[in-house]
Amino acid sequence: MDDIDAMFTDLLGEMDLLTQSLGQETVPPAPLPSTDKEVNYSIGYADLNESLNELEDCDLDALMADLVADLNATEEKFAAQKEVLKVPSLPPPDLPPPPKGLSTHPASSLASPASPASSTSSNVSTPASSTASPLPPPPPQVPKPTKEEMEANIKADKIKLALEKLKEAKVKKLVVKVLMNDGSSKTLMVDERQTVREVLDNLFEKTHCDCNVDWSLVETNPDLQLERTFEDHENLVEPLSAWTRDSENKVLFQERGEKYEVFKNPQNFYLWKKDKNALKDMKDKDKELLIQENFCGTSIIVPDLEGVMHLKEDGKKSWKPRLFQLRASGIYYVPKGKTKSSRDLICFVQFDNVNVYYGKDFKGKYKAPTDFCFFLKHPQIQKESQYIKYLCCDDAWSMNLWVTGIRIAKYGASLYENYKTAEKAAVSSVWTNRSSSTPSSSNPSTPSPTIKAKSPSQANGHAPKPQQGPVSVDFGNVPPPPPPPPLSVFPHPTPPLAAKSSSKPAAPQRHLPTNFPPPPPAMDLLPPPPPPPNEDDALEAPPDFLPPPPPAIGFGSLPPPPTFNSPPLPPPPVSFRGVDQSLPPPPPDPGFLPPPPPQPMFTGAGAPPPPPPPPPPAAVPRAAIRPSGSVKKMPPAPPKRTTPSLQGGDGGDFMSELMLAMNKKRVH
Amino acid sequence: MAAWDLSVTVEDLGSDAPPVTLSVDSGLHVGGVILKLVEKTQIKRDWSDHALWWEQKQRWLLRTAWTLDKYGIHADARLVFMPQHKPLRLGLPNGITLRLRACFSSSVFQTVMGICRMLNIRHPEELSLLQPVEEKKKKKDKNSAEEIYDLTEVPLSSASRPCLYNGMPAHFADSPQMEAIYKMLSVTQPPPAPEVIAKQYRAASVVDKAHIHGRWLDSSRCLLQQGIQENSRLWLRFKYFAFYDMEPKYDVVRLTQLYEQARWAILLEDIDCTEEEMMLFGALQYHISKVSQSEPQMLSSSAAMDDLESALQSLEVKMEGESSSASEMLENMTAPELNDYLKIFRPKRMTLKGYKQYWFKFQDTSISYFKSKEESIGEPIQQINLKGCEVAPDVNVTAQKFLIRLLIPAPEGMNEVYLRCENEQQYAQWMAGCRLASKGKSLADSSFQSEIQSIRSFLAMQKTSSGTHGNAPANDESINTHSLVSPRYHKKYKAKQLTPRILDAYQNVAQLSLTDAVMRFLQIWQALPDFGLSYVVVRFKGSRKDEVLGIGPNRLIRIDLAVGDVVKTWRYNNMKQWNVNWDIRQVAIEFEGNINIAFACVTADCKIVHEFIGGYIFMSTRSRAKSDTLNEELFHKLTGGHEAL
Repeated sequence: MDDIDAMFTDLLGEMDLLTQSLGQETVPPAPLPSTDKEVNYSIGYADLNESLNELEDCDLDALMADLVADLNATEEKFAAQKEVLKVPSLPPPDLPPPPKGLSTHPASSLASPASPASSTSSNVSTPASSTASPLPPPPPQVPKPTKEEMEANIKADKIKLALEKLKEAKVKKLVVKVLMNDGSSKTLMVDERQTVREVLDNLFEKTHCDCNVDWSLVETNPDLQLERTFEDHENLVEPLSAWTRDSENKVLFQERGEKYEVFKNPQNFYLWKKDKNALKDMKDKDKELLIQENFCGTSIIVPDLEGVMHLKEDGKKSWKPRLFQLRASGIYYVPKGKTKSSRDLICFVQFDNVNVYYGKDFKGKYKAPTDFCFFLKHPQIQKESQYIKYLCCDDAWSMNLWVTGIRIAKYGASLYENYKTAEKAAVSSVWTNRSSSTPSSSNPSTPSPTIKAKSPSQANGHAPKPQQGPVSVDFGNVPPPPPPPPLSVFPHPTPPLAAKSSSKPAAPQRHLPTNFPPPPPAMDLLPPPPPPPNEDDALEAPPDFLPPPPPAIGFGSLPPPPTFNSPPLPPPPVSFRGVDQSLPPPPPDPGFLPPPPPQPMFTGAGAPPPPPPPPPPAAVPRAAIRPSGSVKKMPPAPPKRTTPSLQGGDGGDFMSELMLAMNKKRVH
Repeated sequence: MAAWDLSVTVEDLGSDAPPVTLSVDSGLHVGGVILKLVEKTQIKRDWSDHALWWEQKQRWLLRTAWTLDKYGIHADARLVFMPQHKPLRLGLPNGITLRLRACFSSSVFQTVMGICRMLNIRHPEELSLLQPVEEKKKKKDKNSAEEIYDLTEVPLSSASRPCLYNGMPAHFADSPQMEAIYKMLSVTQPPPAPEVIAKQYRAASVVDKAHIHGRWLDSSRCLLQQGIQENSRLWLRFKYFAFYDMEPKYDVVRLTQLYEQARWAILLEDIDCTEEEMMLFGALQYHISKVSQSEPQMLSSSAAMDDLESALQSLEVKMEGESSSASEMLENMTAPELNDYLKIFRPKRMTLKGYKQYWFKFQDTSISYFKSKEESIGEPIQQINLKGCEVAPDVNVTAQKFLIRLLIPAPEGMNEVYLRCENEQQYAQWMAGCRLASKGKSLADSSFQSEIQSIRSFLAMQKTSSGTHGNAPANDESINTHSLVSPRYHKKYKAKQLTPRILDAYQNVAQLSLTDAVMRFLQIWQALPDFGLSYVVVRFKGSRKDEVLGIGPNRLIRIDLAVGDVVKTWRYNNMKQWNVNWDIRQVAIEFEGNINIAFACVTADCKIVHEFIGGYIFMSTRSRAKSDTLNEELFHKLTGGHEAL
């Protein structure tokens, strides 16, 4: 524990530094495209402050959000552990009696010590929060731990926490500026464990783009006039670390059709020798078959490419034509006077240590025969060098063929995995976008009637949301919460969902700082539910239990289940001992929160994000509370998110402490 | 009904014994004939496996309820009464010959099913029997010396799934001999001596290969009908290169034999590959043979312990001793280092300087060097991060040259650095460190020790192959690298020259478990452009010259014999129908878009081509019909030809 304390103080120290650099701005200025190109990135923790100084204010805010989320996570873990240590029934002394939705929290955390920690850790793993993502999977919840079990749990948690911390200390983080299509830019903090996919999801969240599979992060290097689309499974930090200090390299956020073209039109790559017209109207079934054949067998099959390309030989200026062949093991060429038989082929390059890049305007720069050039180099090479292998194709079509073929040979199955993940993200984003738009529109308007009217017209997928809207509204509106009877209506609790949703709470925290001052605007900022892709399992799981759109939502960021819980809780106060007392009656909440009327309801509901873990003692009531019905209704959550965050789910106290600390700094 | 005499040869009485004559009438059913026959022989034994074979018509009389009349048997019929299961000498993909009893009376398809059941190979539909290439009769004496594993005592069972005992079919658990046979089936063979490879028949051209594919037995007819006699030699081989549902857990024998078939295909250049690929195959073979000796069962999953898991445990231990501070724990987890005097040389810089000695320190993934040991506390002269670099050995044991060539990436390009070690020991350690570091792993990585080991054993290989050649003791430390590559490379490189090249490829596969290594071998094999093609020389309708038809798992290709180029590719999924005109022995295929082709087969019967096409279509249906039972009827329908109608 001491160590943890020490670590925490360290973190606080960092916070202080940050706040100093923050200065006085509380209101984020409108984001401006950055003017100084030089500050594209910085390396390592040590540079953080330095780079922070150079960032625009809005970026700072975003970073602060991230950091605060980190801190929260730590705090929460810390708190959770302390709780565990104490006698179960007593509310942790450290925690002031939670005034808000929090009240439910202690009970649950007590029951299953592991769960709070796990929920935080999952928080952290959300892309935006740049903290420890690879955290060990949360230990299964223990219903009624015996003493030994408890101790074991505690120990395990401690160890885990310590390990996390140790790992954390070593994690490299970069502040990356990503250029958007419109010339603006976004700045994010990326830690070295994050994959490009996670960063993309993060960007989806920040940009409201359509999230289709073509969205990519692209690296450019003006010295080499190169362009490369990062593969989704790569870690972003690694290639960026190879950039030189004075580099003018950039990271772009763009739609790149060629990225997954091979999965959309596999025939163009695998049957390229065939008549192009015949390929155009290939049936989907046949495309599917091609993908199956080449990507789903025991071995990944590389397109059978062969053709003349011009090669710029090592260090020379001239381009010479050669007959090249692509094989899974590398690119080969046919030596002069020899046959094309495999045994005579000379290896030109193997793919283990090189990446493939598109070259831009090589006709001008290197006097290439055409502008359709690509080259292969070690990712660390940043300047012209004889170790770069330049190739020039006759046309764009064959260039794409080769580059894609090389990517297939190099990345193999990962490429297809990436595509499937991207597709899922795209699909879920459709749902989430819709969902988020529905609630937000409905929020301002008067609650129940309109929504109800809408719901029937919606597709089944959407149905859940509208429904939910009304329901939650009902609870909120009616000061005396719904009587017990309705509760009993929902017979089957759906624990799995609830468990999953536990990841949700994290998201809100993250946004806290940013959103805090002006709640309403924050809503806009709030991207739809955080991208599910974060955790693969989560991704895959959703379809199973919720067929319609909810999957994305459920997982995503929505704190739904908990939300629901709290409103119902009040009604059966008698049954819960301490818990209900702590639960403020719904009305207080609204007063507390500035947001519009409908929201308060949500807030009240959303407030207790932490509770995910089902409190064992309250089993019976819980069942009632978490009716399957509630699950369906959950969707409305997105809007609430903002509010919950305000309350700082886990520990409003920590948050406020932090804020206090920050304010102090500002004052000074 | 008039009685007449029917003479039946009873095989079990010996070949010299005269036929037994029975008095029968045409209304007697076959069962009755057998009964009379058995009574007449006066021999008491189990006759249940016996049946009547009609020699002139080359058919079995298996329907005991049919009358002689219905079969059309008259007094002139020569019948033979013999067992349906007879011993066969079966050449396995791993080159070993097995003696077992196979069914001579059912279709070859079912016979193969029976054999595979006995050997515990799943998905027998992928295999078939091949008539072997005639061996040159020169060394008859040597043939007799060949060790033959005998499985003829195994009871015949009709159970579709053998019951397993200790992971192997129960009949293998009977005796140590049987267990040895199972071990032979499920463990890869050591690399063959180079002379053995050189002596084997190698198909020199596509036409040669086509001739081999003309030797497949007809799946829809029985062995006896195809002239296969008792104790004949046949090869069991994977015929359809569409391997379904590979599961290392259940497919030990199947995987091993498939690997062996692939390995021999590579060694005998049955399938072409490039030099780089050959080196990788060589490295994998070396690794597989090494690991299979140390790791007897393929079943053991060698999943490396999750490093977090292990870290957790070590931490836990720490936590129990109360007094641990975070810094102590950190210390405990820090990586080991290497420290030593080495010589460094940078070829790109002033060459005049030559090698200079410094104090080197290897830590994490970087090397730093200092003027001397004493100054190693201060700032290093230079620190080189090896992550992502290329490492190549330059070693000559006899000359005591131990050089590590590093190609280190930098923004400006690659920097060449040579490190010179004093001795083997030092070299093995530093080389292993460089190898791991180039892949971003530190010295703390669990594979460090095994990496050192493998470098040492490669050094040992160099020693033996440079010493008295041949006849080196066949311990695992000294494999002749010529055993790992095709004869072409025996001529091209000396074993000593091959060693570093294979070692080079080896570093990428050295960490694989046995199963993973076998799978990797198969994957690379399957990724070769010519993988899975079976060739037949054909004459296309309207063409005057012979061409080659390549039959693959998903396509047919037409190859110009003169140039060796693929002229045309047709995919099965565009195929509308295929027909065989059995009278003129012509195969006609129609593809979507009004494409029609027709050809006569030159090197193989058109039934073989028909069966290949139908067989591959059958293979592709398997994933859809998810049931575990083999749809034999469908296979027969697709491959049987006119007999199936």
